[in-house]
Amino acid sequence: MLELNDVHCVIGKHAVISGVSLQIGEGELVCLLGANGAGKSSLFKTISGLITPTQGTIEFEGRPIHKKNPEKIVKLGVSLCPEGRKLFPRLSIRKNLMMGAYTRYREKSQTAKTLREIYELFPILEERADQEAGTLSGGEQQMLAIGRSLMCKPRLLLLDEPSLGLAPLIVKKIMETIEGINRGGVTVLLSEQNASMALSISSRGYVLENGHIVLEGTARELAGNEEVKKAYIGA
Amino acid sequence: MSFFLNQMVIGIQLGSQYVLVALGLTLIFGILDISHFAHGHMYMIGAYLLYIVMVLGGVNYWLALVICMAALSIAGVVVERAVYRPLRGQPHINSFIAAIGLILVLETLVRGIQPDALRVPKPIDKNFSFLGINMEVQRLIVIVGAIVFIILLQVFIKRTRLGTAIEAMSQDREGAALVGINVNRMSALTFAIATALAAVAAVFMAPLAFVSPEMGSVLVLKAFVIVVIGGLGSMKGAILGGYLLGILEALAIAYISSAYKDVFAFGVLIIILAIWPTGIFGGRD
Repeated sequence: MLELNDVHCVIGKHAVISGVSLQIGEGELVCLLGANGAGKSSLFKTISGLITPTQGTIEFEGRPIHKKNPEKIVKLGVSLCPEGRKLFPRLSIRKNLMMGAYTRYREKSQTAKTLREIYELFPILEERADQEAGTLSGGEQQMLAIGRSLMCKPRLLLLDEPSLGLAPLIVKKIMETIEGINRGGVTVLLSEQNASMALSISSRGYVLENGHIVLEGTARELAGNEEVKKAYIGA
Repeated sequence: MSFFLNQMVIGIQLGSQYVLVALGLTLIFGILDISHFAHGHMYMIGAYLLYIVMVLGGVNYWLALVICMAALSIAGVVVERAVYRPLRGQPHINSFIAAIGLILVLETLVRGIQPDALRVPKPIDKNFSFLGINMEVQRLIVIVGAIVFIILLQVFIKRTRLGTAIEAMSQDREGAALVGINVNRMSALTFAIATALAAVAAVFMAPLAFVSPEMGSVLVLKAFVIVVIGGLGSMKGAILGGYLLGILEALAIAYISSAYKDVFAFGVLIIILAIWPTGIFGGRD
């Protein structure tokens, strides 16, 4: 479904991604592990068109997307729920969600159906539909960010650090929701610093260090790897 | 009492002009983080265009309004594309210098072609009296027309998909790109709307004043003060600040001296800023 071949990215004078190659099959839930500054967010921004790679190719469902702008990539079915959420703080929750369906403006009844599905997934968002997004708690904002990313009916969902700064109970709920989204047929690429949590719900994973993929394998293999344990699980 | 009411009406009319220009500025600032100092000169171009279309071309005033709005919308898109877009992501001083350059180019060009001030005739050259207020019909056109355009803008921003996209983009540009909003197209649309509002202000005000190359210079300074007073990027702030400045100016002219109108008006506005340093509405709405 998604294939990156030898992708390089430079921001300013710094190489943030150096020769990354990875593949994600349809229906998979794959995690991307790495410390702060490893290049996870830059890689996600590159896939979603916010950063143009200086070298290499990115294909989604067989089509090259590495030269497309974010609008076209969203239309193709790739949605990024970014680190820091990037919500519209002074718009209502409902308007935030509707903006998530910006590219589906001709599908009014389908959009309304998706909105109902999001409200079923996160009932708190429906209860507070008219409240400004900026007034929500961190966990609620994360739910809204995921909900907004789902409004465009993506086939590939990129989740960048969804647990960052959240209480453990909320993180558990978010992870369960991500599993549920994946079971519903959406392919997920999940970036996390919380490696044990990410590996517990993923089928495969990659480890990113200084813009390079240094390890890859099944979730079980990575969870059992001594280096991963030492660096990311703390065992 | 009737003198006071007459001055209030003049103040509201002045404020209407300020609001239309300040709304454009605040929209551009909110979306693009650009201090578009050449906005006043786009207003000046609008007034000259009215002269060309209406006086030289013999076109009806209301049709001329539509033509000026359309022409300046296109001019706004060209300015965004050619002047500001290449500077996106660069230090603010770059776009500031580009704006100054644009001001010099526009003013010099117009001065070269038509150095003398021009008069645009009023479409309805009549006065009327109501509740002791004696006013020209053109002033009523400015007041009512501004209200109509303010309402239209509010409806567009708050009730339409494109308007909400503009608002979303002003709150988080990257977030807007990630939901599939074409940020370049939206920037161009914002410039088109803002510049069309400057055209509306010019068409309304031109029959009440001389059309001259420098007519936008002071106006844009006042509009910037209004935008800062209201809260950068806040439309509510621009509306309130614009009317406030207009009324303060008119009262200063009536009760103090026309020579000190700006001192009085800006003095009060400085006091407002001392009380609310981030403007009355403290940010974008």
